[in-house]
Amino acid sequence: MNVQSKIPTTAKEDKWIPSVCNICYGGCSMQAHRVDGTVIKIEGNPKSPIGGGKLCAKGLSGMMILYDPHRVNTPLRRTNPKKGMGVDPGWKPISWDEAMAEILPKLKKLHQEDPRQLVLQVTTTITPASLLFFAFGWAFGSPNMWVAGGGLHCGNGAHAAGGITHASWSVVPDFKHCNYALYFGASKGHGAGHAATPNITLAADARERGMRSVVVDPMCNPSAAKANEWVPIRVGTDAALALAMCNTLVNELDIVDREYLRDRTNAIYLVRPNGWHARDAQSGKPLVWDAAANQAVVYDAPGAKNAALEGTYQVNGEACRPSFDMMKEHLKKYSAEEGERISGIPAATIRRLSREFGEAARVGSTIVMDGHTLPYRPAAAIFFRGAQGHKNSMYNCFAIDLLNHIVGAADVVGGCLGFNPVCYGHPETKRPYYVPRKDKDGLMATGTWMLPHVPYPPADPRQPDSIGFIELFPLSHVSPLMASSDQKEWWSKFNLPYRPKILLNYGANSVMSVGNKEAASEALKEYEFIVSFDIFLNEFSDFADIILPDACYLEIFDPRPNFPMIFNHPAGPGEWGWPIRQPVSPLTHERKGARDVMLDIAYKLDLGPEINMAMNSYYNLDGPQMLDPKKTYTLPEVFDHELKHKFGPERGLEWFKEHGIITWPKKTEEVYWRTFLDVRIPIYHEYLMDLGERTGKLCAEGGMHFDPRYYGPLPEWLPCPSHEEKDASFDLYSFYYRDTIHVNGFTMENPWLDEIAQLDPFSYKIAINAETAKKKGLKDNDAVRLETPTGRHVEGRIKITEGIHPEGVGIAACAGHWTPHQPIAKGKGIFYNDLLEIDFEHTSPVNLNMDLCSKVRISRYEGPLG
Amino acid sequence: MDTQRYNQLISDLRSDYRPQREWGEGKGLLMVVGHFLVGIAGGAWLLGTLYGSAWTLVLAFVLGGLGGLVHLAFLGHPERAVGMMRHWRTSWVSRGFVGLSLFLLGGVLYLPGQFVALGAAGPALNLIGGVMAMLGALTIIGYMGFAYTASKAIPFWNSPLHPALYVAYALRGGIAALLIVGAVKGGVPAETLLKLWIGVTAVVGLFFIMELQGAATGGNVAAKQSVHEILNGRVSMVFYGGTLIVGLAVPALLLATSHAASAAVMALIGIASAAGDFFMKLSTVRAGVYLPLVIPARHHRRA
Amino acid sequence: MRLGMVIDLKRCMACYGCQMSCKTEHGTPPGIFFARVLKREEGTYPSNRMIFLPVLCNHCEDAPCVDVCPTEASHYAEHGIVDIDHDKCVGCHSCMVACPYTNRYFRDEKQHYFGAAGPTPYEVARSDRHPEGVVMKCNFCRPRLAEGKLPACVDNCAALARTFGDLDDPNSAVSRLIKERGGFTLHPEAGTGPNVYYLAP
Ligand SMILES: Nc1nc2c(c(=O)[nH]1)N[C@H]1C(S)=C(S)[C@@H](COP(=O)(O)OP(=O)(O)OC[C@H]3O[C@@H](n4cnc5c(=O)[nH]c(N)nc54)[C@H](O)[C@@H]3O)O[C@H]1N2
Ligand SMILES: Nc1nc2c(c(=O)[nH]1)N[C@H]1C(S)=C(S)[C@@H](COP(=O)(O)OP(=O)(O)OC[C@H]3O[C@@H](n4cnc5c(=O)[nH]c(N)nc54)[C@H](O)[C@@H]3O)O[C@H]1N2
Ligand code: SF4
Ligand code: SF4
Ligand code: SF4
Ligand code: SF4
Ligand code: SF4
Ligand SMILES: [Mo]
Repeated sequence: MNVQSKIPTTAKEDKWIPSVCNICYGGCSMQAHRVDGTVIKIEGNPKSPIGGGKLCAKGLSGMMILYDPHRVNTPLRRTNPKKGMGVDPGWKPISWDEAMAEILPKLKKLHQEDPRQLVLQVTTTITPASLLFFAFGWAFGSPNMWVAGGGLHCGNGAHAAGGITHASWSVVPDFKHCNYALYFGASKGHGAGHAATPNITLAADARERGMRSVVVDPMCNPSAAKANEWVPIRVGTDAALALAMCNTLVNELDIVDREYLRDRTNAIYLVRPNGWHARDAQSGKPLVWDAAANQAVVYDAPGAKNAALEGTYQVNGEACRPSFDMMKEHLKKYSAEEGERISGIPAATIRRLSREFGEAARVGSTIVMDGHTLPYRPAAAIFFRGAQGHKNSMYNCFAIDLLNHIVGAADVVGGCLGFNPVCYGHPETKRPYYVPRKDKDGLMATGTWMLPHVPYPPADPRQPDSIGFIELFPLSHVSPLMASSDQKEWWSKFNLPYRPKILLNYGANSVMSVGNKEAASEALKEYEFIVSFDIFLNEFSDFADIILPDACYLEIFDPRPNFPMIFNHPAGPGEWGWPIRQPVSPLTHERKGARDVMLDIAYKLDLGPEINMAMNSYYNLDGPQMLDPKKTYTLPEVFDHELKHKFGPERGLEWFKEHGIITWPKKTEEVYWRTFLDVRIPIYHEYLMDLGERTGKLCAEGGMHFDPRYYGPLPEWLPCPSHEEKDASFDLYSFYYRDTIHVNGFTMENPWLDEIAQLDPFSYKIAINAETAKKKGLKDNDAVRLETPTGRHVEGRIKITEGIHPEGVGIAACAGHWTPHQPIAKGKGIFYNDLLEIDFEHTSPVNLNMDLCSKVRISRYEGPLG
Repeated sequence: MDTQRYNQLISDLRSDYRPQREWGEGKGLLMVVGHFLVGIAGGAWLLGTLYGSAWTLVLAFVLGGLGGLVHLAFLGHPERAVGMMRHWRTSWVSRGFVGLSLFLLGGVLYLPGQFVALGAAGPALNLIGGVMAMLGALTIIGYMGFAYTASKAIPFWNSPLHPALYVAYALRGGIAALLIVGAVKGGVPAETLLKLWIGVTAVVGLFFIMELQGAATGGNVAAKQSVHEILNGRVSMVFYGGTLIVGLAVPALLLATSHAASAAVMALIGIASAAGDFFMKLSTVRAGVYLPLVIPARHHRRA
Repeated sequence: MRLGMVIDLKRCMACYGCQMSCKTEHGTPPGIFFARVLKREEGTYPSNRMIFLPVLCNHCEDAPCVDVCPTEASHYAEHGIVDIDHDKCVGCHSCMVACPYTNRYFRDEKQHYFGAAGPTPYEVARSDRHPEGVVMKCNFCRPRLAEGKLPACVDNCAALARTFGDLDDPNSAVSRLIKERGGFTLHPEAGTGPNVYYLAP
């Protein structure tokens, strides 16, 4: 018999430990099989709705991270005072005591001087552990926190739009009921994107059920490959396509869900000739035109049920029109032909897709769910990183999402769903509880959010206090200014009263994950002192002064790996699941959990009350579970409080250690909440005009160029710098995409994942269209250089494929590592971001998302690779 | 992991036509060498018997023994080799192993009698040994081609001509052995052998061309790819240099330029032709590519 | 009972989960994959298609690998599973060149994923027990089957694209899928009688 059956039966320990994966931020429920102290298998946890017992290939490979011999095992201190990219810091192992003796006084001094000089940088990859890390920043009193490339690449636009119109971090089709899903640059269903693994199951079910999926993407990536139709689009032109589709629906086909627009959006709000809403003089509430009574009434008056969507009405002596009417007019600019001119997609295709989408939405139909008669709109337009990662980030998202609102397919059965924006809590404790509510204008504010900084209602723009200027741009949540080439210029122009001095990093590799390495590393060189918690030494480490050996996700606790559920908890009908992350392997060497260390540091800096209050606020702790500001806690104690707070005193950390997860059913009112809640969402973004005025004024004061076109109330297509490149020799749009088998920039060191990536035809190659390659005389696997107009360049081998737009070159993941400390990763794949500028010119002036496309020329490359 | 072999394997697994490297590369070269030696041994035994050349039989035996050792060295677990007899009912490799064992055993019994008087047991030993060795020789001549033909994964080998080719190689090898023995010891009919050599060579050439032609026209994508590998791909150097120049052009030139069949020329022709056979085997073995799991549809581009 | 698998190419999302779950279940050494996912292209832009094909040993009814194996190391085990007895295998590679599906791997020497840095505790526990000098391949997870579990790759497939069961039973899920959806096997012309079936994408 095969040796594989010869598994020792003499093991002393043989147990399965439930926990949560964190190789990407998807947080799938897992269980680890530990035999005699060694983790020999990681599987999904079948008891959990988060993955349902399945894991993606990455999640299965955790042992190769846990046991990587190249992990950092002791605190390290640099011996070489010279800092620079690729300059060996001369790491010398030191003790924790020595490390703390160096760190504590520096932090203490900084805190006394000006706490804002502290910057916290975290990786998104280990969200939400990293969010708790921020608690230190709040306690310390610094506004300077960011997630390196996270947010700047993946979400300043998509999260803001998702928050404003779906009360959620991101959107997804209602896989269980949707019949027609349009994807705009979003991986959903093949092991990438949000809730990556649960979405595989849902997408496969939908596919078998017959959901038609149409993927708009410059590249035929797995989601496009599995779609019914792939629509290759010119990079960065999504808004043009989406607006042309909206136009076709509204002005050509008249497929419009008027009832939805009237009751659930601000489409009825009257707009004055100057573009602002007509408002009630006393209450300040927006007015609508009650067509039955023939008079203007406030939006929440009973007459709003009869509000007009079209027409011109005299209000206070001005000709006012409902927002929908304005939108209708505005959309006429975007004929299908105009859409074709910009996006390269034939007008006939645009019209066909619009018709298909509109008809699939079945405007007017209803379905009975759970005793409730609900709108049935089985069509969804979703978007994520690909569409939103451009200078026109905000409008790209709004334009695509508008498709859902025109046909009334938002958060109703079959439509486009936010990730769980409503939760009425566990039946016994009614916790967690969060529900979107309306603001003074009747517009929706999210019920919960990832960060304190909610997208709507936006904060008032003000003179920047943080080094990223997010106060100036309230729709952003992180800013490239933290690493940009023009940061110093802006800091002085805006009279920032301090300069960043100390950086505490929790995992992020900002030298690679943001943009070109030069700008990122110049910014890092300015710090007086950098401490980095990491599990590996990476390219960022070259700039650190002290490295602290962190525990990896298999060695730590987290009481809420899937909360807030608007982020990585699977959406749509099903169950709620609240698992905990717990160590499946004991800490070895000198490793310590970063958050435990930070809590300890906070107490040692006499920030006990502050940190306890910060954690109270982060975990929403009140009543008996509230942390006593005067006490000191260990993290597991805090976690115990959090769990008991949410699920009752009998379900603390011990209970969860044993059970791993608590589940309860989702209610229809939670999943298809839109019909149940009295909130409206904007299709006419008056608040943007307001922001524009105020932000514009502040910008003018600081001498910063401000482009008001981005702050109009209705979405437009506005070009990226790459669309305006004059030199015709730069004839290709480069872009990147998620690799199924890799996560951002950190899994190339995992030899199992690396091995699969090597076997994959695309992972480590530059994808280029076959015809384009032929025209350029290039053969498969040729080494090439991609070069930008500013002279930035990357090199690699090409993969010739039919599955990419002729004007595009696609690169997977964030690879091309050069650190000698990750021998598996070194030299594999292509470091796409080295083509990207980090400055305001290449940033969305609304939400500060970076522009992730760049125009390049391709040439044969003779030099050495990797 | 970053060894050359590993990187090679990974790149092989990626390619549309994964090259066969089990037999013919690295340690797998021993398999070809083994087949080469054993093939000559079989042919030499056959022709040695036919022409009554005891020294050729000795040479055959030595080569067979060497071939056996080389085969063992190729195995992952030579110590388990005896177990290879188990599956002779369906396995050509097993049959080959049985054949070689028979041959060697037969040789041990038979050969001493050719040089010393064995007394009473002599005739019996001669008979039994002779029959065993001849059966073994025929088996090893025959099995090799079938061992390749049975390899369903490599369409190029999966041709009915392959066994015939291997028989012809064995004969050419046998002739070469006789020529060499003749050059050293004399006593072999050189003229006849040279004629025979020309005849068998013509047959080998014909079969080989037929095999290539068959694969290139009637074969599947993998067989076609193998032909490509031989004619202008990975193994074309071995093919042109080894098979055509060393194995064909050199002997032909020698034949054409030297008048009488001098001993040295005979030996040279023998060695060159044997070497040519080796390269021919090597190139066909190395040209083997696995049948792809997804047959790549040709990319037709509309004009 | 004849065990077999059906892989629904319509559901498969090319996530590589099967390839990895198999690796972690068996601790296969570097470069050895009992399960793989192949990606190939067809057609021309923009009506090209990507083909995703998860492959594994087909546990053929007329397995050429068994036929050519001189030692009977490759053999038919219970319920049609084709397995290798590593105590018998001489490492002659014949089965590798016989398998029309390239699903066999030779393990020549001990190798570890981190190379010179040595084996991880996982590899010590799971990979080092594989002998050297022999051929390895998928065994339909016989040890898991013995424990009443599904094969690892089936159990973990998030797309639920893989179904496992008794092909002799006309009412089993596998038989029904094959019948209803027109299941096909790879390289039927090889005459090997695979017990792994595919459903069209
Ligand atoms: N070219 C390209 N650029 C990208 C992306 C891309 O796909 N391609 N993705 C973009 C996006 S959307 C994002 S969110 C960012 C992500 O960018 P980063 O947040 O920098 O994420 P990674 O590149 O995955 O690097 C993760 C880092 O966290 C460390 N790490 C992993 N686990 C732990 C742990 O448990 N503790 C500690 N302390 N450290 C740990 C790893 O060693 C690694 O250094 O990159 C952005 N940039
Ligand atoms: N496997 C895997 N999963 C991950 C991650 C990972 O690194 N690997 N990272 C996690 C993180 S941090 C994030 S933020 C999410 C991101 O998840 P996604 O949003 O899915 O990110 P991408 O795959 O980068 O982008 C989606 C698609 O956009 C396409 N695209 C690029 N440019 C354009 C464009 O201009 N227009 C259109 N329409 N499409 C375009 C790309 O080709 C790609 O197919 O994934 C998370 N999940
Ligand atoms: S999707 Fe992310 S969290 Fe889930 S198993 Fe894969 S790597 Fe882990
Ligand atoms: S695990 Fe399932 S979905 Fe993923 S590649 Fe394998 S068969 Fe396809
Ligand atoms: S697939 Fe290959 S290894 Fe598996 S039984 Fe069939 S021939 Fe043998
Ligand atoms: S390598 Fe082993 S299993 Fe394969 S044919 Fe030879 S003895 Fe049989
Ligand atoms: S059945 Fe088991 S051994 Fe075979 S491929 Fe699947 S997981 Fe691997
Ligand atoms: Mo991200």
